[in-house]
Amino acid sequence: MRVGVDVGGTFTDLVAWDGAGRMSALKVPTTPDNPAGGVLSGLAAVARAAGPCASLAHGTTLVTNAIVERRVGAVGLVTTRGFRDVLEIGRMSRTHLYRLDLPAKPEPLVPRELRAEVSERVSADGSVLSALELGELPAIIRHFQREGVESVAICLLHAYANPAHEQALRLALAQHFPFVSVSSEINAEFREYERTSTTVLNAAVMPLAARYLDDLAARLAAGGRAVPVHLLHSAGGMMSVDAARARPLTMAMSGPAAGVAAAAFLSRSLGLSRALAFDMGGTTTDVCLVADGVPETARQRKLGDYPVRLPAVAVESIGAGGGSVAWIETTGGLKVGPRSAGAAPGPACYGLGGHEPTVSDANLILGYLNPERIYGGSIRLDRGRAEAALDPLRRRFGLSLLDAAYAVVEVANANMQRALRLVSVQRGYDLREFTLIAYGGAGPVHAGALAREAGISRIVVPAHSGAFSALGCLVSPLRYDAVQTYRIRLEAWDGTLVADRFRSLEAQCQAPLLDEGHAADGVLVRRSADLRYAGQNYDLEIDVGGGPDALRAAFEHRHRQLYGYATGESVECVNLRVTAQLVRDDVALPHAAGSTAASAADTLRAYFRETGPVTMPRYERASLATSQTIAGPALVEDEWSTTLVYPGQRCHADRRGNLLIEAGA
Amino acid sequence: MSLHPATLEVVRNALYAIAEEMSVIVMRSARSPLLKEAGDLSSALTDAEGRLIAQGRDIPIHLGVMGFTVKELLKRVPPERMREGDVWFLNLPEVGGNHLPDVKAVRPVFVDGRLVAFAINLAHWADIGGAVPGSYVPSATECYQEGLRIAPIRLFAADGPQRDALDLVLANLRGRDEREGDIFAQFAANDVAARRLQELFARHGAGTISACFERLHAESETQMRAAIRALPDGVWEGEDWVDDDGVDDRPLRIHVRVEIAGDEARFDFTGTAPQARGPVNTTYYIACSAVYYAMKALIAPDVPPNDGCYRPLHVHVPPGTVLSADPDRPVVGGNHETSQRVVDAIIKALAPLLPDRVVAGGPTTSGVLIFGARQPDGRWTILYEVHGGGEGATAAKDGASAVRVHMSNVMNTPIEVIEGEYPLVIEEQALRLGSGGDGAHRGGLGFRRAYRILAPELTLTSMLDRRVVPPYGLAGGGDGAPFRITLNPGPRERVIRGKETVRLAANDLVVIETCGGGGYGPPAGRSADATTREGAEDPTG
Repeated sequence: MRVGVDVGGTFTDLVAWDGAGRMSALKVPTTPDNPAGGVLSGLAAVARAAGPCASLAHGTTLVTNAIVERRVGAVGLVTTRGFRDVLEIGRMSRTHLYRLDLPAKPEPLVPRELRAEVSERVSADGSVLSALELGELPAIIRHFQREGVESVAICLLHAYANPAHEQALRLALAQHFPFVSVSSEINAEFREYERTSTTVLNAAVMPLAARYLDDLAARLAAGGRAVPVHLLHSAGGMMSVDAARARPLTMAMSGPAAGVAAAAFLSRSLGLSRALAFDMGGTTTDVCLVADGVPETARQRKLGDYPVRLPAVAVESIGAGGGSVAWIETTGGLKVGPRSAGAAPGPACYGLGGHEPTVSDANLILGYLNPERIYGGSIRLDRGRAEAALDPLRRRFGLSLLDAAYAVVEVANANMQRALRLVSVQRGYDLREFTLIAYGGAGPVHAGALAREAGISRIVVPAHSGAFSALGCLVSPLRYDAVQTYRIRLEAWDGTLVADRFRSLEAQCQAPLLDEGHAADGVLVRRSADLRYAGQNYDLEIDVGGGPDALRAAFEHRHRQLYGYATGESVECVNLRVTAQLVRDDVALPHAAGSTAASAADTLRAYFRETGPVTMPRYERASLATSQTIAGPALVEDEWSTTLVYPGQRCHADRRGNLLIEAGA
Repeated sequence: MSLHPATLEVVRNALYAIAEEMSVIVMRSARSPLLKEAGDLSSALTDAEGRLIAQGRDIPIHLGVMGFTVKELLKRVPPERMREGDVWFLNLPEVGGNHLPDVKAVRPVFVDGRLVAFAINLAHWADIGGAVPGSYVPSATECYQEGLRIAPIRLFAADGPQRDALDLVLANLRGRDEREGDIFAQFAANDVAARRLQELFARHGAGTISACFERLHAESETQMRAAIRALPDGVWEGEDWVDDDGVDDRPLRIHVRVEIAGDEARFDFTGTAPQARGPVNTTYYIACSAVYYAMKALIAPDVPPNDGCYRPLHVHVPPGTVLSADPDRPVVGGNHETSQRVVDAIIKALAPLLPDRVVAGGPTTSGVLIFGARQPDGRWTILYEVHGGGEGATAAKDGASAVRVHMSNVMNTPIEVIEGEYPLVIEEQALRLGSGGDGAHRGGLGFRRAYRILAPELTLTSMLDRRVVPPYGLAGGGDGAPFRITLNPGPRERVIRGKETVRLAANDLVVIETCGGGGYGPPAGRSADATTREGAEDPTG
């Protein structure tokens, strides 16, 4: 069995695939105090149901949570003499424009007394202006040891251009500290504050990642079989345990990456060239663009208030979900979110003590959720409670109950619409070319309305949506990224030199793949360059195939697409990038659909603005035949989720059990 | 017309998304270092009368001004002269403006042949011509020395760029390639905004959108009035000083009398210094910007800023003051120095009324240093760098170190960018220990940055304040240390003034030490725990 495991905040999802087309999924509660133990008990459950685990693909929010909750150990920073305050000075801008009561900046990641300086200096072109004084190290080492430092970050000015001094420091410091994080290895890119922040955060999570991985390996070994383990990283690929130990910060965005990776897999298997992964949960909605089966990645994100400059899926997250609370602003406006009733007390209709009106309450009143259904094993939705919760809104606006509920859903959809546009239209894409891949508890209820509003013509509600994140781990390719700042105008482009630099980046990326015994010819290598007009600051990542003329043409094409113009000015390169991934889409989803057309299980009363109150049929998803087309309005239900087919839309199940909806936009 | 509650939210979301998208386009595709790295730009949408409706999350100085730009433009260029596809550029301070480098691009938006809205963005160009590279002329005594004055001119029309007009502009400033890139970036942002607005009108209908505009104004007005009504009626006075005007070496007083009456507030600047010979003058629009910012930050931070938000705020500036100078006076520094002093005066006036909301004095200055070096090919390379300092303390917390405050929020330029692109080496960048004002809560620390000059010839211009008059402490807290700029520290050092141009040679060293923040409350009120923490952070004691 190949097993995918995604450890979330509440549940750990597991998916097992037997290599022949059989797949099983299950959920176990997450055990925050004993994370490896939780994974092991999940694997035991899988073994009972499907067979022993032969290899493990693993996603975890361990690193993310540690940083957000500031549960990390002391880090010592070693930097260039004269610059230990770079980390505290940062970029000088404040977080809130008008809030005098809030902290203007986050606390520095490393307090001043743990920021040490060494004499050395490298210039922007990599030449050494003054030599490294290693003689200064013993005093720094003693100081760090006295302060209980376990992990050290090394970040010197311009180390991306010449890493020699950092490497010498690493050699010396590694003898005294179990964990050392080096900026030229973590993120060899210019802009010192962002690189320092990234390197320090990596150092901060190294000890806890190592402890976790050791614990997991020991427990797996105790089972008597060698189980290869890979970990999901933020860019939606898998990496080796060694890579995760060295760069645990790459796991910081793996939570959203798991679902996006599954959506990318789905778009590859369905041959979708443009898709939007749309994950609507209880509190937030995450949206990410997937082009030609590859999730879009961003090169820098914020975690807490700190910049992390490592590739991560370019997810836009907004505070709108099924639990988002509808409220009336002091001026009388109707607002939905960002506050959420969460899982506890949850929406009023859960009957767990929530009294505020939420998006789920509105959906229930509109007939978009089934009051007879048991959700999450034990929750039966209570329409009476939902109506009571919406009553103040209804009275305040003088609307009917149905109209008030409809307004709540419309406002929630408008919030989500903004996230959809941010990742697509604002990046120069036309939404009409897209397929919406809807998952998460509430995604398949809202997808139909969003698609119609946005002009998206097709929606896919994936099979296995309940264990979608675990599926994402299982199907993600092994992938490694590397970057190196290289500043040059295209006029001065030196093909030989560039090829050399790319080869060295490729060697970095390919080494862990070759170490695991994968053949070099199975590795797909992507070379790209960050280009900009000379004088610009935001660069565009362009694939490198041909020479400088081809690069310029591709850059200008993308610039025109994004910004509406191109000028013919001089173009410069700032960074070279390489991604190496193992092409291996060998997981085939099982056939799921029945063969005889199902009839509706029963009917529900629902309300849509264009139809008014209507009766709509309800179907069991598992019973749908592949040839069967359902006309909206209709509700399709499975164990994990509810899919709403809006009036005028048509839905059918493909042979893998995915629901395909023609949105009729 | 009656509005469905959901429709208003849908439209509001769309409007904010458009304004934010405009800023992203300018920032990502512009050329001036200020725009690209530092984000010295703002975007907004107005209704057909030029009343501000929605803004991106940008720079407060700009946003107040842009609430006037379109209104004033319409007095010069009546709507009959505007066509679909036009983009009008302007920078005249007297036409809803502030200073020459901040160039505004205004695009009228038409639906079915009717003018329905404007998209406007403002970008700080790295050079607008004038006597020195970077267009900051500390010794200027007339606006004409400060660069190209662009009266409203149509640089784009439906048939594309208007080449003659563009060339006239580009012929009058340094770095024409870069500037052309900036102009296109501003055009592109407006173009996208116009398209998005047209889609929005098409979807909801002009009547609904107009009704939404009115509602947005009305909502903000209601909220601002409620915030003012919560304050006791009364009159408070405050004052602060600008160090000097760069020409005459004496402080200039900014005086404000704030009257709260019911749900309105009146700001009277009678008693403010007369207009200056040097470039610290500014416009009525900037005075309003500062008032708007101060009131929003002090009493109504969450109110969406638009025309309605500002209706209950009345600003009176008598003629002939530094806040209402004649159009031929120089203004380049007034934009970010004098404006910030207006905020300081208001905060000092209202400190007794709002002791738990005010913040002590901080780096209320742009801290601008401009390094202009002529390259071997004869072209100028210009580094325009801002320097923050220590934030003032409040009744509840210490000030942050090395940060921008109030009207400005422009970022710094990374050392690795400066050294990679300019003939400079940064030899040190460190917190300036001991610079924060003492108090129950301490002011934040300023910082020190040392620039070594590599170019054979380089012009340095300073345009900053808080070098003479220090950031004030409040409620018994101590003042912060003022700015200091030193050329070649040592026995032959020379102090560089806050508004000065000096010629430098290779190997010269310029050290800027930025101001600390003022403290809040008497130092004796500081908790023992807090004192230890500060001690640990400061190994030098």
